[in-house]
Amino acid sequence: MIQVNAMGDACPIPVVKTLRALKELNGAGTVQTLVDNRAAVENLTRLAESKGCAIETEQLGEKEYRVTITVGEDAELPESADGICTVPAAADNTVVAVSAGHMGEGDEVLGKILLKGFLFALTQQETLPRTILFYNGGAFVTCEGSASLEDLRKLESLGVEILTCGTCLNHYGLTEQLRVGGVTNMYVIVEKQMQATKVIRP
Amino acid sequence: MTRQKKPALVITFHATSQAMAAEELFRRAGLPGRMIPVPSQIAAGCGLAWKALPQERDALCTALDTAAVGHSGCFLLEMY
Repeated sequence: MIQVNAMGDACPIPVVKTLRALKELNGAGTVQTLVDNRAAVENLTRLAESKGCAIETEQLGEKEYRVTITVGEDAELPESADGICTVPAAADNTVVAVSAGHMGEGDEVLGKILLKGFLFALTQQETLPRTILFYNGGAFVTCEGSASLEDLRKLESLGVEILTCGTCLNHYGLTEQLRVGGVTNMYVIVEKQMQATKVIRP
Repeated sequence: MTRQKKPALVITFHATSQAMAAEELFRRAGLPGRMIPVPSQIAAGCGLAWKALPQERDALCTALDTAAVGHSGCFLLEMY
């Protein structure tokens, strides 16, 4: 049996990963995929049913499902995930990338006020971004003394992922000053933006 | 996670300089609230406003009047 972790992945990634694992089986066998949303379960079900594979779904937690697909010897697997993901797992995966302690160029004092206002206005949106990345001068915004800590904590409590570049924290001597969210690295900073449906840069 | 809007007091200003003066004044006096961009439900003056709990209205407005910092309006809004 092959186990696939597709937690946090947006459509069609869970299907793509599962399909890859099914092909790896190279014949009969079982693939177990972990996903975090109902839509991904439906997409995997469609994948299995279209190929006459047996499928079993268990809900392990509020946002955790285990989908077990069993294939027979002569199952015909589709070449791609095209046409299977008709239900998007995550219609919106907006990432906000904050690269400075101010918003826009010009007067820096005004720029700081604008950024503070921007992050507050984010808290007022009906649909929130999935992730906010902070790097270079943006690292100051998640640290002690930032005027936006309250807003960022609020966003974090609503499920928005707050990540600050560890290299940047280190460079500015802020490692011990981080007050909201987690520390991340360049691979995650790239990955989050690559997987985003859109990236907003204030 | 579900969120609920709560009533908020929003004080608007004619100019950004007034809003900044008000922020300085409130901060020194230890008065509650924070600067926010003027919510889109309000079309008024400059783009900055002061947000606080509705019950702080008298204390804030008295402080503005005493210090002769002009403001353009006081609003009650439902905000997150």
